[in-house]
Amino acid sequence: MNKDLKITDVSNVEGQLVSIDINDLPKLPIDEVPFPWKPVTEEQKQKTCCILDEVNVLNIPRPQTPQEEEEMVNKFLTGLRKLFTTENNWTCLPMLQTSMDCCVQCNSCSEACHLYECSGQNEMYRPNYRSEIFRRIYKQYVKKEPFAKWRYGDMNLNWKTVARLAELSYRCNLCRRCAQVCPIGVDNGLIARELRKLFSQELGWYPPELHQKGTMNQLKVGSSTGMTPSVVQDNVSFIDEDYTEITGVGIETPFDKKDADILLIHNAGEIMAWPDNVAAFSLIFNKAGLSWTLSSEACAYDGVNYGVFYDDAQLARLALLHMQAAKKLGVKKIVIGECGHAHKAMTVIADRVIPYEMQVPRESCYVTLRDIVMSGKLELDPSRNNFPVTLHDPCNIVRLMGIVEPQREILRKIAPQFREMPCHGVDNYCCGGGSGFAIMTRNNVEPWRNNISGRKKMQQICAAFADCLGPETKKYICAPCSNCKGQIREILEHHDLYTKNSFAYAGLVELICNAMPDVAPGSFIHWEGAEDE
Amino acid sequence: MTTLFYLLAYAALIGFIFFAVTKVRGYLTSSPLHVRWELYPVPHEGKKAAYGGSFMDEKEWWTKGRHVSHMGDLIALLKEVLFLEATYHHNKPLWIRTYPFHLGMYMMMGGIMVVMFAVFLKFCGVSDANGFMIFIANVINAISLLGLLGTVGGGISLIYRRVSDPGLSKYSSGEQYFNLAAFVVFAIFGLAAWATQPSFFAMGRDFMYNMVTFNFQPLVSSPFAIHLFLGFFLMIWVPLTNMQHLIYKYFTYHDIRWGDMPTNYSEANQKKIQEALQLKPTWSADHIAGDGVKTWVDIATTNPAAPKK
Repeated sequence: MNKDLKITDVSNVEGQLVSIDINDLPKLPIDEVPFPWKPVTEEQKQKTCCILDEVNVLNIPRPQTPQEEEEMVNKFLTGLRKLFTTENNWTCLPMLQTSMDCCVQCNSCSEACHLYECSGQNEMYRPNYRSEIFRRIYKQYVKKEPFAKWRYGDMNLNWKTVARLAELSYRCNLCRRCAQVCPIGVDNGLIARELRKLFSQELGWYPPELHQKGTMNQLKVGSSTGMTPSVVQDNVSFIDEDYTEITGVGIETPFDKKDADILLIHNAGEIMAWPDNVAAFSLIFNKAGLSWTLSSEACAYDGVNYGVFYDDAQLARLALLHMQAAKKLGVKKIVIGECGHAHKAMTVIADRVIPYEMQVPRESCYVTLRDIVMSGKLELDPSRNNFPVTLHDPCNIVRLMGIVEPQREILRKIAPQFREMPCHGVDNYCCGGGSGFAIMTRNNVEPWRNNISGRKKMQQICAAFADCLGPETKKYICAPCSNCKGQIREILEHHDLYTKNSFAYAGLVELICNAMPDVAPGSFIHWEGAEDE
Repeated sequence: MTTLFYLLAYAALIGFIFFAVTKVRGYLTSSPLHVRWELYPVPHEGKKAAYGGSFMDEKEWWTKGRHVSHMGDLIALLKEVLFLEATYHHNKPLWIRTYPFHLGMYMMMGGIMVVMFAVFLKFCGVSDANGFMIFIANVINAISLLGLLGTVGGGISLIYRRVSDPGLSKYSSGEQYFNLAAFVVFAIFGLAAWATQPSFFAMGRDFMYNMVTFNFQPLVSSPFAIHLFLGFFLMIWVPLTNMQHLIYKYFTYHDIRWGDMPTNYSEANQKKIQEALQLKPTWSADHIAGDGVKTWVDIATTNPAAPKK
């Protein structure tokens, strides 16, 4: 079905185009068995365009008549034309145009891509496979260049091409590792995002987790988690109470403190799933004597901005609300909590989307925390962290923002057994949950993350702990990003690696708090079965 | 016929400049200001560039002056242009083949500059027997030979790789083979001219001198004439193909990959954001409903999830 996949197959092949054999996947040095794919049901086949592979992210309604097929193609072409106009795409057009015109098809990008490597080098996962389909369509059907078929290669455009291209735009973590190695500066990650944008902004095709449950929910109630302002205040208040009891140290989280120096914006997922992270921030900031606050303004207690993964309008709306809340409070700066995409959306992207007069300076929490730890404001005992620790570098913060050293300075000070993964810093690999996948759990997305997208990260983690991989040594994976933690948690849980390999995972702040002598041991870092010892 | 040949030379020169300027203009006018899309390491970050660090790893970086190491950018640019550093690090099997090809072309392009200088010297009355002119002639004859050999060897090797590597052959269109073959044939005729005439330099200099003085003298070598004719074609063809990376690479590196200028340091960019936000999109999805009348400001300040009134 896919051993000799050609570019033109995307238009010509009937039924499912590609099937990834889980026996082809690279092996890991741990006890894990790849997830079998759940079969696609007949009903799904009838109703949706599940014609790419085993995964179905978009649930695109299958056209039932030739008219519907034609309409799908025409809408796509209309969106494609808009994508190449200044008024519709001033944000990214120069990057898109150069990526369309300059690629020499050297395939240097393939070796850099964790999905290509960890799918057993399946042709569909070459970063250039999707881009080349897109390029050929653009040259042949939009620019209508003379001799386009000879010059760029033929590409038949029908509803199958459109549906598969849409799904293909969601077979990429947008980590841009491929762009980093391109000698010319072509960016396949950008092309994937531009495609997502076209499908969202013109055809209304998006993953429900990113749109309806994501940005729309955030715009409606204030957070993609569904938490309203009053609920978030209640929840944080409970966290304060719980962790005051657990740690034996008083924890209090301020809300809506006017003219504080800092507005801290968490990924609200932390409040729901990792309350220890929220408590740890509060504990550290209070002990360091910072003037800071959270906001209960809708959207401003959730740094999430899924627009950065698929839609410019949603991105701009949320970035604007974050800035407005900070302005309203009169803070001097926003500090972004442990969330990679929130860092990039709020700091780098918003910088040229939100008018300067409406902007409030933004700082990474890694920088703020480094300043606190290195200033000596906290009493820290590194011997409490005397276990092997490795660091995951979130792509959005490291490769795309150049924040590399602050987190390492902290770890070198508080974690005596800190060791790097292979390919760390700006050469890192995505956790596997990047660009929205960490929050998707349906239509084989979950097995996909376990089998393919998260495999390289697990390989790196195993390599970092190669000398102590067994259960006798407790090990800590420091993943200071909410989405990355979600992805790592899932792999550890599904393969029971907590027990089999004594892994624990959490962020940077948990490790800092664990080094505080007055905090009860085990408050923030916990290994499976630790109580039994 | 000779006059037509010289006219083609002028047309090629004008054509290259026209298409190059059109491309640059197209890039610069495609957006008032694109979003920041940098990728680290960024070489103008000084010492931080060694590990991929940025100004954003400093506390309250916006309160500090902007420091850009232009020397860092220049060194990175030279390493990339002269040695194809990225290909060397990330795709060595390609680098072994493409470096001789590119180096060959650099030698020929550099050679043209030196020949232009020799034409200038001739205008200044420096004779062919002058020691410096003889030195230039020898250098040009040597580097043109190396350049032509590199282009032929590298070009054939690149074609062979495209044919023999299944991963690459799927992505190789007719034009890609044609482009490589055109350079190889161009260089083969150059080699033939080099081998059959006493001085490649003298042919090149005399042709250029005749162009400048509008003295349309016939060329002494048929292979050299074909070599030049193919060169004219390539001058116009290159900016129309993916080889336009020759022009765009400056932007993909300096403006995109290294384009990290924060808005607080640039009043010009602050104005450009305002300009961009006044553009009127036409995206059709319900949550945007762009009608060509609403601006980006209108859209960004509208909440599609708000209860309908």
